[in-house]
Amino acid sequence: MTETTRLADLTHDELYLHCIRCGLCLYTCPAYLETLLEPDSPRARIALVRAAAEGRLDYSERFADRIHRCTLCTACEKVCPSGVEVEKLLVEGRADLAEAGLLSPGVRRLTESLAANHNISGEDNSRRLIWTENLPQPPLGAGKAQAKMAYFVGCVSSFFPASYSIPQSMTRLLEAAGEDYALLGEQEQCCGFPLLVSGQEPRAEEMMRHNLERVRALGADTVVASCPSCYHMWKHVYPEVLGELGLRVLHATEWLADALEQGRLKLKPLPGRVTYHDPCDLGRKSGIYDAPRRVLRQVPELELVEMRDHHANALCCGGGGNLESHNPDLSGALAERRVQQAVDTGAQYLVSACQQCKRTMANGLRLLTKKGVKARLRVMDLMELVERQLE
Amino acid sequence: MVNTAIVEELRGIVGADYVLTDPADLASYAYDGTFQERRPALVVSPATTAEVVAVVKVAARERLPITARGMGSGLAGASIAGEGGLVLSLTRMNRILEIDQENMMATAQAGVITGDLQNAVAAVGLMYPPDPSSLKHSTLGGNAACGAGGPMCLKYGVTQDYVQALEVVLADGEVLRCGGKNIKDVTGYNLVDLFIGSEGTLGIITELTVKLIPKPAATRTAKAVFPRMDDASAAVNRILLSGVLPSKLEIMDGTTIECVEDYLHCGLPTDAEAILIIETDGDAVNAQREIETAAQVCKDSGASEVQVARDAKEADELWLARRSVSGSLGRARPNKLGEDISVPRSAIPEMVRRIKEIAFRHELRIVVFGHAGDGNLHPNILFDRRDPDELRRVEEAVADIFAAAVELGGTLSGEHGVGTLKLPYLEMAVGPVAMRVMRGIKGALDPLNILNPGKVLPRELHCERA
Repeated sequence: MTETTRLADLTHDELYLHCIRCGLCLYTCPAYLETLLEPDSPRARIALVRAAAEGRLDYSERFADRIHRCTLCTACEKVCPSGVEVEKLLVEGRADLAEAGLLSPGVRRLTESLAANHNISGEDNSRRLIWTENLPQPPLGAGKAQAKMAYFVGCVSSFFPASYSIPQSMTRLLEAAGEDYALLGEQEQCCGFPLLVSGQEPRAEEMMRHNLERVRALGADTVVASCPSCYHMWKHVYPEVLGELGLRVLHATEWLADALEQGRLKLKPLPGRVTYHDPCDLGRKSGIYDAPRRVLRQVPELELVEMRDHHANALCCGGGGNLESHNPDLSGALAERRVQQAVDTGAQYLVSACQQCKRTMANGLRLLTKKGVKARLRVMDLMELVERQLE
Repeated sequence: MVNTAIVEELRGIVGADYVLTDPADLASYAYDGTFQERRPALVVSPATTAEVVAVVKVAARERLPITARGMGSGLAGASIAGEGGLVLSLTRMNRILEIDQENMMATAQAGVITGDLQNAVAAVGLMYPPDPSSLKHSTLGGNAACGAGGPMCLKYGVTQDYVQALEVVLADGEVLRCGGKNIKDVTGYNLVDLFIGSEGTLGIITELTVKLIPKPAATRTAKAVFPRMDDASAAVNRILLSGVLPSKLEIMDGTTIECVEDYLHCGLPTDAEAILIIETDGDAVNAQREIETAAQVCKDSGASEVQVARDAKEADELWLARRSVSGSLGRARPNKLGEDISVPRSAIPEMVRRIKEIAFRHELRIVVFGHAGDGNLHPNILFDRRDPDELRRVEEAVADIFAAAVELGGTLSGEHGVGTLKLPYLEMAVGPVAMRVMRGIKGALDPLNILNPGKVLPRELHCERA
């Protein structure tokens, strides 16, 4: 997502008018590949929004369902010969549906939690550091008032136990590399991404402003995020909405690649084969493809292989665009398809750089295994893999 | 009329998820690759031939018109259902059933994506040559039903030349299997060819067996810029006369060059009247010799600039301009109407001249590109359908283009089909006797007129039959 502040000013026209209905997008869409039904294609979603905007189709529950059965992965945008901005169009469509009271029930619960707790988990925001509680000693960055770098942990890693190990690994790596960093703790709020993709920009803006103020209060010159969506927000959306940040914004993989190449971290060999899953928000939407691969190449004896679809063509894991909240079954099916691609490479490690991708793909692996697919595969975050190899 | 009982019966056949009646879902099946739009009464998406048979039997009993649809990339309106009709979406029938290496044939369900079949057979060193530009997003069944072509058809022939056998569900639900793996077969009428290009009006193709060829080892590419269209056209004939049969021989006219340059800013010569892009294939030595011959012919025929790609990367760069035509047009104006007239090769310069004149007369922007080697041109009219006056001028221009093509010994469609867009001009192109024969065939195979009525032939067949 880019240029969100202008969403309200854009007419539907500019966004969909140039769809020539060639159908090229169908074959790239993970939801379409799953159901092979036209209403689950980008072309249909564009047609629906257009028909509604032109007064030829009423909003309905089915209409809203179709618009929400999309991970906003933007694989379609990469092949569109006419340059239709599908994500922007659908985000605007979702905003209209929200106004009409047709927000997906799953997504509504999510946004209600955000309003009440400033995070997506439903827990009180004072529990932000729950992921540090089983560590032998608290991270050095906890409770720090001043630091050069702010580590923005993100909601999923902070509150969902299966993801705790990502910030745990990240803080250990930061400390091993001798970084002066701080955690925001209970002062951290949701980055605003889930609200934006469900079309609720004003509420997102409040949280964005709050987070920026907290980071500035630390006197930090750098923000690093291990969540690609948080990173994408900080890197691209925050400056558009809030103006020049005066901060360096890094994704954890960028920081880690530099730290390894500068020799600030030493790794033990890991004999085996790894494949890397490009998160949509990190790859297609932020253009970061090399940093995570540079990191993997720094692990001695680890062979990096690519899945059938990778880099800009990477298939979405199914975890994007609030699809998991809206329709867990479809999200799971998409994850299975992606994990199968990893199984096909013969890799022992399926690594991503996103807690949501890890969650979704771990679920996909479970579903595949239940179906009897023999998969000797471990789904991990890049931070976890590298931290395990620290000398 | 579709009532609840029929919907329930169809759900019983294909499963509840695969009968769609909600207006939002019907709106998703209202279009194809043209600017036309009409919502069907319902959509049914079967997974097997047996399910297709059962659905067709219900439709026949209820006199419900059926429009078969693949991925809806067609360019003639053929897969848009008529008023009150049922769209039969075949995308779920997507299994490749057999790759027979010994006989070099593949058998697949109708909903298999053409590009998927190409990849599957390439993995064993074989090639399925028909290459419509929609190959990644169109189905084998749709390609056969609409007679798809593509750039490589100059050397290797069109879809029709590769379909060996078909399984077709007829209008009464009977299953016809015709053709086979025999290269030669004159046992009775050629029923396979009858269904090619029939656009779902004679039967519903559910399975195909197609011929494959060994994959050529090498390809070479060249680009030639011509200040004059006549010279480009003459070069095409001279290349073919020189004994070189390129695997692709594509042309872009001056307006196309301008559009692509506006979009790509890659330094295309906007004062040139034509660019030819030539590809040869075969073993490496042969492909190289042929591309050099073709390049020399272009130089001798008045090309101002000829470039032979040294490697695959350079070849890809030469193709970039041609590949970007579609995108550049989409960005130039909201709508485009892509025609695909076919004229004898010698008539290409005159046809392009007439199209320019038609564009001028109707105050429209028309670009011309296409397959120069076989005379199949794609005049694309750029417009905005929200402007009623412009839309009227587009319709007039289309009629003029068709009339010009026929006058020059050409025809309406090389590879897109008739659908609804060319239907009004069909008789002009084929004459009254052919029309009577076509109606006879339609009446024999689909007496109830439920198979995609109103496509290829007018919806009302009876008065003409009498």
